[in-house]
Amino acid sequence: MTIAAAAASRSFASSFCAGAVLIWVMMPSIVLVGMVFGVMASTVGLTLMEAAAFSGSVYAGGAQMASLQGWADPVPLLFVGLTTAALNSRYVLMGATMRSFLAHRPAPLVYTTLFFLVDATWILAMRDRDTNYDWAGYLLGGGFVMWLMWIAATMAGHEFGQLLGDPRAYGLDFMLAAFFGTAAVSFWRHSRRVTPLIVALVVAIAAQKLIPGPWYILIGALIGSLTGAIGHARAA
Amino acid sequence: MLARPDILAAVVLLGCVSYACRAGGYFLMRYVSLTPPVQGWLQAIPISIVGAILGPIAWNGGPPEWAGLAAAIGLTWLTGWDFVGIVGAIAAVALMRGLAV
Repeated sequence: MTIAAAAASRSFASSFCAGAVLIWVMMPSIVLVGMVFGVMASTVGLTLMEAAAFSGSVYAGGAQMASLQGWADPVPLLFVGLTTAALNSRYVLMGATMRSFLAHRPAPLVYTTLFFLVDATWILAMRDRDTNYDWAGYLLGGGFVMWLMWIAATMAGHEFGQLLGDPRAYGLDFMLAAFFGTAAVSFWRHSRRVTPLIVALVVAIAAQKLIPGPWYILIGALIGSLTGAIGHARAA
Repeated sequence: MLARPDILAAVVLLGCVSYACRAGGYFLMRYVSLTPPVQGWLQAIPISIVGAILGPIAWNGGPPEWAGLAAAIGLTWLTGWDFVGIVGAIAAVALMRGLAV
């Protein structure tokens, strides 16, 4: 609980502003991915308001795009529900790691903050974890600003996306991988854990071959991280 | 507006599923005491998520994706700036795909 106990932590307002500013590193890519989703949404026939509501409520690019792959009339709710759950299951693990960041803050604030938890804010919080921010403010600041931009980018893509051309040619489908590639460096510098990394990598590759849908992320990350527990149990 | 009820249902359902994922892990940790093995597990989560996402991308990808991952990791490592890593990775992927065509 070292993070919660950090003495003289920064105020909520100052942390909110820090989060809202630092998130701009990720913003160009978020805007482009949001626009790509907007284009895809207009292609399957979503109206402008439907696309905006989709981005506002789900707020997860990978899950939104994967859901559109199975879009039909009527919408196959079971398929899109399971696809979203599978892709966003990584947030269950990310949320678990947020306990030590947020446990000392009031529950309504924490559960509001968690709505805005995304890969980018989680990666930044993990990178900056040794600083003394009010983490509810930091995560809310970055997550809220990005949420607004995400909705705006979706709407822009829906209306003007044809101008973008093929996003794959610009490598924009590689955004999530690029995010996590940069995160790998800061995570690795913080704790050099070879076993969880290798196990997660191998299990995810195997699971992707054997199990349909994007469950391989959760399976690989869960089994990989559990090796961290085994290592600790031996040490203790 | 939201003309079709099935689309409205999908927007609400997927929003709830996503929030359940975001809040669920945090909520459940309330009932888990932070013993050394649990702390070891939590500390291993970030690098494991990285492995589980990047492993299959590298496995299924070709030279453009490998170059992209190398650029993301290498440039962030050298400059210490995430933004350079992301831009470099996207540029590397786009360039390699452009050359291949």
